[in-house]
Order: sequence, then C-alpha cells, then structure tokens
Amino acid sequence: MKKVLALLLALTLVFSLAACAPKPAAPAAGEQAAPAAETPKIGVTIYKFDDNFMSFVRRAIEKSAEGKAELILNDSQNNQATQNEQVDMMISKGVKSLAINLVDPQAAPAIITKAKAANLPVVFFNKEPNADVLKSYDKCWYVGTASAEAGVIQGKMIADAWKANAKWDKNGDGKMQYVLLKGEPGHPDAEARTKYAVEEVKNAGITVEELELQTGMWDSVKGKELVDAWLAKHGDKIEFVICNNDAMALGAVSSLKGNGYFTGDKFMPVVGVDAIPDALEQVKSGLMVGTVLNDAKNQGGATSDLAINVANGKDPLDGTQWKFDNNKAVRVPYVAVTKDNIAFAEEAYK
Amino acid sequence: MQNAALKHHGEYLLEMVGISKEFPGVRALDNVQFKVRPGTVHALMGENGAGKSTLMKCLFGIYHTDSGEIYLSGKKIRFTTARQALDNGVSMVHQELNQVRQRNVMDNIWLGRYPKKGLFVDEDKMYEDTRKIFNELDIRLDPREKVEKLSVSEMQMVEIAKAVSYHSKVIVMDEPTSSLTEKEVNHLFTIIRALKEKQVSIIYISHKMEEILQISDEVTVMRDGKWIATKPAKELTTDMIISLMVGRDLTNRFPEKTNMPGETILKVEGLTATYQPSIQDVSFELRKGEILGIAGLVGSKRTDIVESLFGIRHVSSGDVYLHGKKVKNSTAEEAIRNRFALVTEERRSTGIFNILNISFNSIVANLGEYFGSTGLIDEEKCKKDTKWVIDSMSVKTPSQRTLIGSLSGGNQQKVILGRWLLTQPEILMLDEPTRGIDVGAKYEIYKLIIALASEGKGIMMISSEMPELLGITDRILVMSNGRVAGIVETRETTQEEILRLSAKYL
Amino acid sequence: MLSKVSNRLKSLTGKDAAAWAMNNAIFLVLLVLLLVIIAISPDFVSINNFRNILTQASTRIIIALGIGGLIITQGTDLSAGRMVGLAAVISASLLQAAEYPYRMYPDLPMLPIFVPILLVAAITGFFGLINGFIISKLKVTPFIATLGTMIIIYGVNSIYFDRPPYGAQPIGGLSQSYMDIAQGSINLGGFMIPFLVIYAALVTLFIWVLWNKTRFGKNIYAVGGNPEAAVVSGVNLVRTILTVYVIAGVLYGFAGALEAARVGSATNNTGNMYELDAIAACVVGGVSFSGGIGTVSGVVTGVLIFQVINYGLAFIGVNPYLQYIIKGLIIITAVAIDTRKYIKKK
Repeated sequence: MKKVLALLLALTLVFSLAACAPKPAAPAAGEQAAPAAETPKIGVTIYKFDDNFMSFVRRAIEKSAEGKAELILNDSQNNQATQNEQVDMMISKGVKSLAINLVDPQAAPAIITKAKAANLPVVFFNKEPNADVLKSYDKCWYVGTASAEAGVIQGKMIADAWKANAKWDKNGDGKMQYVLLKGEPGHPDAEARTKYAVEEVKNAGITVEELELQTGMWDSVKGKELVDAWLAKHGDKIEFVICNNDAMALGAVSSLKGNGYFTGDKFMPVVGVDAIPDALEQVKSGLMVGTVLNDAKNQGGATSDLAINVANGKDPLDGTQWKFDNNKAVRVPYVAVTKDNIAFAEEAYK
Repeated sequence: MQNAALKHHGEYLLEMVGISKEFPGVRALDNVQFKVRPGTVHALMGENGAGKSTLMKCLFGIYHTDSGEIYLSGKKIRFTTARQALDNGVSMVHQELNQVRQRNVMDNIWLGRYPKKGLFVDEDKMYEDTRKIFNELDIRLDPREKVEKLSVSEMQMVEIAKAVSYHSKVIVMDEPTSSLTEKEVNHLFTIIRALKEKQVSIIYISHKMEEILQISDEVTVMRDGKWIATKPAKELTTDMIISLMVGRDLTNRFPEKTNMPGETILKVEGLTATYQPSIQDVSFELRKGEILGIAGLVGSKRTDIVESLFGIRHVSSGDVYLHGKKVKNSTAEEAIRNRFALVTEERRSTGIFNILNISFNSIVANLGEYFGSTGLIDEEKCKKDTKWVIDSMSVKTPSQRTLIGSLSGGNQQKVILGRWLLTQPEILMLDEPTRGIDVGAKYEIYKLIIALASEGKGIMMISSEMPELLGITDRILVMSNGRVAGIVETRETTQEEILRLSAKYL
Repeated sequence: MLSKVSNRLKSLTGKDAAAWAMNNAIFLVLLVLLLVIIAISPDFVSINNFRNILTQASTRIIIALGIGGLIITQGTDLSAGRMVGLAAVISASLLQAAEYPYRMYPDLPMLPIFVPILLVAAITGFFGLINGFIISKLKVTPFIATLGTMIIIYGVNSIYFDRPPYGAQPIGGLSQSYMDIAQGSINLGGFMIPFLVIYAALVTLFIWVLWNKTRFGKNIYAVGGNPEAAVVSGVNLVRTILTVYVIAGVLYGFAGALEAARVGSATNNTGNMYELDAIAACVVGGVSFSGGIGTVSGVVTGVLIFQVINYGLAFIGVNPYLQYIIKGLIIITAVAIDTRKYIKKK
C-alpha cells in the first residue's frame, strides 16, 4: 500500500514537472527565433480559453507575436477575480505590457489601477471598457470592433436575402416573423447586435414581427433547446432565425434539422455572427444564409502589434495599418459572409 | 452491603408503577412494576422482546407511557428529553457506546454543558473535574486522550464517569460486559461497588446469569411485557432465573450432541497475519463433522483467525490445506468458491442488510447462482431457496418480503446461517453466533449447529460464553494474545483450564 | 513554515519520518509543490509573489472557513458561491460612485460602507438560516438542500441584477472608498500589508477561537462526530446546525462584499463555483466529510495549497488545461494520503 502511495505522489510530481516542460508554443518558438535580441515579455489573458471565437483570436495573437515577443497566456476561466489575480501575477513576473480580454467589461478600472501602479501599458481587446475609463489612463488602448457594426451588417444581409426570396414569407402576409437568439444579457455585443440587426431590417422597408426573443448565452446547446421549444410552439409561423453568434446559429440549425427542415423544400433562413469555421461549412452547404466575419485574424494581429509596440516603448500604431478612432480604439471591420464570398472568410482562418 | 439496602426497606429511590405502553398491534408493556432501592444493583432480566428496553425508554421519556407513574425519590417525574433525565440524576450507559470518537475524553464527559469562563470554555476546570471523578472511581485514563484511541472497556468507564459527573442517582447499564475481558469485568464491578457506596443505584441489564448473580442485590424478571418477579439475588439460581424468563423449566440448556467427527478436512499451518498485532503462527486441524470452539479473552485475536481464513485479512505466511490440497483465499470471493463460509460477529454492521428483505438477505452470498442464460435474475429459484432458508432454519416471519430488520435477533441469525448454507460450504465459521440472542432462540441455534455438523460440515465457533463452548463443541482451541495457547478435548476440560490457557501469553 | 518543516524533517529518521510524513502529508504536498515551482522558476521567490498569493487567498479563506465549519457537522454547502455572488451584486449596487452615470439606484445617497456590508451579511446569513432550517428541521440531506438553495439564490440574484434602468449590466463604477477597503494596504515598517490579508487573518482568528474555545465550537465537533451522542447529552442539534449555517452565510456575505470591491465590479455570475474550490480546499486541508474532524490551520493550509497551485502554475507558464489535471491529481493525492491516517489495516 505504501508503494502505491509513494507511486501516486511521485506520479503527481512527475506530472507537474512534465507539465511545466512544454510551455505554451509561442514563447518557446519566440526564444529560439530571436536568440540575440531579448524579446519583451507580454502578459495576455483570454476571458475563457475554450470560447470558440476567442481561441482563433488567441491563435492569431500567438502567430503574429512569433519571434517578436514572449507571451504569457492565461485562461481567466470566465471569472473576473481570476483575471485580476493573473494580472497581479504577470506584473510580478515583469511583463512589459498587458493584453487583456476582460471577463467583465465593467472591471477595467481595477485592471487599470494595477497597471498604473506598475506603470505598464495595457491593450484591451474584444471586450470594450467604457470610453471614459479608457481615457483615465494614457497608456491604455482598445482593439475590437464597433459593436453596432456587426448588427448593421447582419441586418443588411437579412434584408437583402429576404427581398431576394419572396417564398420565405410563408404565410404571405408581407411581414417577416422572426425569432432571435440573443447572447449574454448585458454583453455590449449582444445588446448592440440585437438592436441594430432588427433596426437595419426595418430601415430596409421590411415590416417585422418578433415572435420570440430569448438569451441563448452564446451557447449552441441552449440555442438548440430554445429553437426546439419555439418550433414546437410556432411551427411554420417562424420565417427567420436571427442569432447573435454562430454557436447559437449552429444550435438552431441542428434543431431545425431534427424538426425536418432542410429536406425537400422545407427551409428556414438562419443567420449568425462570427463566421467560425463550422458556420462557414453550413453556409457553404446552404443550411445557413450567412454570417458576419468577426475578423479573428486581424483582431489578434492588431492586439499583438499594439502590445508589442508599447512593450518596446514605441508608438502603439508604429508600422501598422491601423488607425485609432476618437476613443483610442482600433476598430477591425466586420465582413458579411454568404455563399458568394466564402473563400474570403476561409482565408481568415489560415 | 445487602443489609444496608434492606435497612431502607420500603424506601425506594426509583418507582415505576403500573406502566403500560401499547404500540399498534402489540402490548409492549402491561402494568409493569419496577422498584429500585438506593445504593443497590438491581438486575433487569428477560428475553429479548420481554420489554426491558421499552421500560427503560419510558423512564427516559423517549416513549410516553399510556398509563402508570414514575417516582424518583418520592417525587413524581415525567422526562421528555434524555438531557432532562440526566439533569435529574438518571443516566444510561449504552450498549452501543454513544461517544464522539474524534474528540477527547473530557470533551465527551462534559458534552452539552461545558463549563465556561466568560465567553470561552474553561478547559482547566474540565480537566480538574474529570481527574477528580477518575480518582474517585479508580479510573486511570488521561482526560485529554482521544476517545477513538481507547479500548471498549475504557470507553465504557468514560461513560460511567460521565454519569457520575451528572451526580446521577440511578445509572442504567445495558449489557455492560458484552465485550469486556474477565479482568475488565472485575474492574467494572469494583467501580460498581464504589458507586453503591455513594448510594447510587444501578439498573443492570444483562443476559449473563453468572455475572448477575455475582453483582446484583435484587433481580426483576420480565416476560412478554409483563412483570414476573422481583427477588433478592441470593435466593436465586441460574436455572430459576431462566425458568422465570422462559416461563418453563429449561432442564437442559443445550441440545444433545449427535455429530460424529470424522477425517481431517482442514489443516492450518503457521498462519500469521501481515498487520500486527494479530495472529501469529496459528496451526490446527478441523475434522469433518466436528465443532471446534475457539475461546480466548477479548483482544486475543480469535476473530482474526476466521478473517484470515476467509480472505478478508492479509496473511504474511502460513499454509491452509483443504482435503490435503493447498488453498489460498485472498478475497472473500475466493473463499466462498473454496466453500468456506463466515457468519460475522457484528450482525448489524457486517451481517444483515437491515433495510432489505429476507429474500435478498438469504441469497446475497450466492448471487452468482441465480442468473440463468438470460443474464436476468431467476425469481423462481430465489423464491425456492428463500423458502428453504425459512423452513429449514425455522425462521419466524410473515413473508419472504419482510424486512430483515424487523425480525428478532435470533431470527436474523437464522437467516444468515441459511444464507451461508446456500453456498454449500464445507467449512462453516461462526463468530459469536448467539450474541444478543435470547435464551429460547439460542437453544434453536445450537440445535442447528449440531445438525449441520452431523451432516458432515466442519464448524468453527468463536464464543465468549464458556457454558456454550463447553456445551456443544467437540474440541476447544484457546487463543492467548494472538497465539494458540492449546487445543483441548471438550469432554475432558474445565472452565478453569480454559481460563488458565487464555492467560498463557499475556 | 518552510524552515520549520525542513528542520523537523532533519531530526527524524526511518519509521518516525514515514509516520510523520503521513500525518503531515498536506504540508509536504505544499512543500513539494513550492520546491518544484521554485526549481523551474527561481524568481518565484519574491515578496511580491508571496503577497499576491496571500491576498488572493484571503476571500477564499473566509469562504472556506464558513464551509469548513459545516463540513465538520457532516454538512456541505453548494450554495456558497451563489451567496457570494448575491452579496457581491447587492453591495456593489449600493456602493456605486455618485458620479457614475449607470447607477442601479441613480438617486441613492452615498452610504457609509459598513451599512451595505452589514446588510449583505444579514441577507446571506438569512439564506444560511434557511439552509440550516431545511437541513436540521426538514431533515433534507445537506447536498440536496443546498443544491436547491444554490439554484434559488442564483434566480434571486439574477432578478435583482437584471432590472431597469439598465438591465443586465455588470455593476461597475464602484466608489473609490469601497474599492479601497479591498484593494488598499497598510504600510507596516516599509512592508505593505494588504487589507484583505488583515481581514482574512481576523476572520481566521475569530473562527479559531470559535471552534476551539467556545461551547458552540465543541458542539460543532460533537454534532459532527456523533449526532446521537450529542443529542443524548443535551446538545441542541437544531440550534447548532442552524447557527453553523448562519455563520457560514455571514462569512459568504462578507467575502462577497470584498470580492466585488476587489474585482471592481459584480455580475450575477460572480462567485460561481467558489463553493467547489472551498470544499476542495477544506478536504485537502484534512476536514473529514464524515464529520467531526477538521482544524482551522488545515482549512487555511488547504486554501493556500490551491492558491500556490493556481498562482505558481500560471507563473511558470503551465498550459491552463494541464493545470486542471494537476489540481485534480493533487486533490486526490492529498486526501488519499490523509485518509490513510484513519483507515484500520486488516
């Protein structure tokens, strides 16, 4: 028995040791690529590692920092307290700049306080702090999108498709009966996408009727369950499924498939946002009308560019193609993706 | 001492008069009288189910009496909680010792009324008060020792000290010697005598006649919920008490032995357990149709022998031969396959599945036999075998589906015996098979054991009750401190010789 | 503690050492962890890291001490994390800076900080009372009872949180004085001691006295060790269990108020799953799930072990997913070793 125990303890130890050997790919590669000039350490936190979209942003950051910086990547596990602790740890580790994907956009002041105390520049990305918070510290910037834009683009796409397909108006009442899967309530993207998508459709002169609006918390499973319920309740009365992101759109598609859609001429238009690879596949095979490319590659690239620049004491935009808006923010544009331009979106993931 | 008690004739410390208690369908107590004089030991006797525990539960307010009155020192009382009883000087030393094992001795004694100094518990006072009581009772224990480190008898002493700490006038002791060694029993009796000196009365509940006659001043016998008799102990004999309890004369407490030992079937050589203290170098032989008793004091590791043979205790060396062929049981599963069976000592914790029915309890050790080619359980066979258990063991039960927990101890034990017989064992090991079983049922168990031996089973029986060992075994193996002190022929030995052997390696 | 441990190691040999190691497995695990981390990254040894770990452990210690007490009574509490969240949201909503444009109560005057903190402690204390009532009076097993209240409290919190005027917005813009009580520190002879560490130390001291020096403390152990014996001896089981859950609730509330101030904002998801961290820390720290066993020092060490793992593994740059695996292994190893103390060998 004692042997078993000793073995267990040893195993744990070996595991911990082994675990430490393969450091995240980027820094290892970075160290090898630039043996002479010391590359700066940059602390990066991702609000949740296993978030579909953020994992692409993370990869883009890693790729673009290769050879130029040593990244310390942290998974904030969707917990702001954890993220704050990671920031403390990275400051203690002596990073030269921080790239922060906030868990909770309202928590930016606490991060800024920490950074200020250590005189560190901060690049927030993907989750936007309030404008006045950004203004409160001269060494902080934001890389993201214009929240409204995704909704606007999605709305345009919906309107164009609706006008082009008269038979989608199943009951022929000239109105678009839609259901909407919303992201996490309170998330600026969710609020903006919901508001602007519908507004844009109305702007295009289409009368709409909202049958259902519920939060699917960005999640496929929740999205599927909600659409299951709505189909049971409304059946063919639903004419359009609008989703705040692709994960929920995928859930909606799987629910629709299970309810006999997409066979014969039974069809339901579904749109999402993010253009994640899965969704692109669905667009390609015609199960989704379209999605909006939230340009992970460029968001990650811009974040990494800015963070490296400020870590090296340069101007944040030095040598990049980006511009700041009035709020010290770089806005990476959204792109509508339909069957026609799918190749462009696929390129973004290569 | 008895004279002192008699001087107070007519003056009772505790009087329970005309107590009746009815449960749905049963009249548990029927107009019972029970009167205890101050400074005496009053034995309360009766078969299991005679109403002793119910009577005590009425005293402590756990049950409400339907009629009858209770007086303590002439004052009418009616307790509603155990704590109230304690505060009024009536306490109980439980059969299953009720202690917080993770805490130390003094924490247990003062549990529920820790002395306080300001906001905090006064540990020093607790320690001193505990020492004082220990000194009075001649208990040598560190008040700061954790209870789980104590032996059973030490725990019991802690319980008694606790009762004394409440300035108890009446202390109920429920089967206090059931797991004590001879020496510990003597110490207990010393303590009881010290308590008597302090005019404390002891209500002593036990099945052990010899002890009762030795320690008690008066004996009250109950049967079927009724008061039968109260007599001075010195006027009584074991047989008289038994006949009062059973309601008939038990001229012979043991059935006639009909089994004939044959050739050797089991040979054990140099069996030694891995984790000591336990058995060392145990060797013996068991013959077909023989009942081999295993005697020894508590702590002499009698149980470890059968556990080692049954594969539930690690063995470091030694060989076991069944029919001359070497066998090694390293799990109970293997042991059952090799046709060993073990009826464990702690019926409640390792014997019965309390909340399951008789059918399940009958077939559980033999489950593999009940799955046919379908892989589903064969209900017909289950029914048949359960019926066999009930009939051949004469289990008194309304149905196969009755929960075993609702049967009496004797009937539970019969189901367990039946369970093991279903596995067709050659070697049947019984660990204290009659503990906690009343006199009448014991007789039936003895009859079963002898019948099984007559059929050719090899039986090992561990027992703390000397008369039982002398009454039904063929030979007796005496353990002393983990080693075999001797194996004697039952017909030729005496109680004294066995006791002497028990102390051989102490 | 490090030097104490190694000194004692030196003075022992052979069997003694083995027995000692078995009895102090938890401390050894902590020691080994530290050594491994330091071996890989020597700059881990710094006052700053030490302070960070202690600060980060602070609110967790407060929560774990709450849970520890009720685990000793054979209880458990799945609702702890949600109570922390409720307290965080309510206290944050009452302590937003006056100039912040999105206040939940736009016209609320600035309250003295202790008022909301006492209020949330009372609220979570009340939920603790409900837990205790369900467990002691309705006799629902603690796991189920608190599973229920966990869900209920999340619902309550979400309703409170997702309200006009601004809907489900994270509650930010906390007043500076409120954030200072958690983020500030005191200068003691040139050494900055964070307030959080001081609160945790005070709570630890309070709980230590409560568990070890008072009647109530001894009753907790008695009730957990052998409920029947406690009842027979006149210990009021219901009152003891109620009280232990109320105290736990109050501690969660206090921790929640601090958590909001520490993070600078709160949402209805604040505190999610904190109970599991706290339970794991207690268990690793030697608190027995079967009741009656547990020490304050064990709980605190348990929390520190987890904090060292969290912080240290991130510090040396271990893959985040791998960190989960290591944490799981450490829980099992530590408890497996600890359990051996109580297993009788056959």
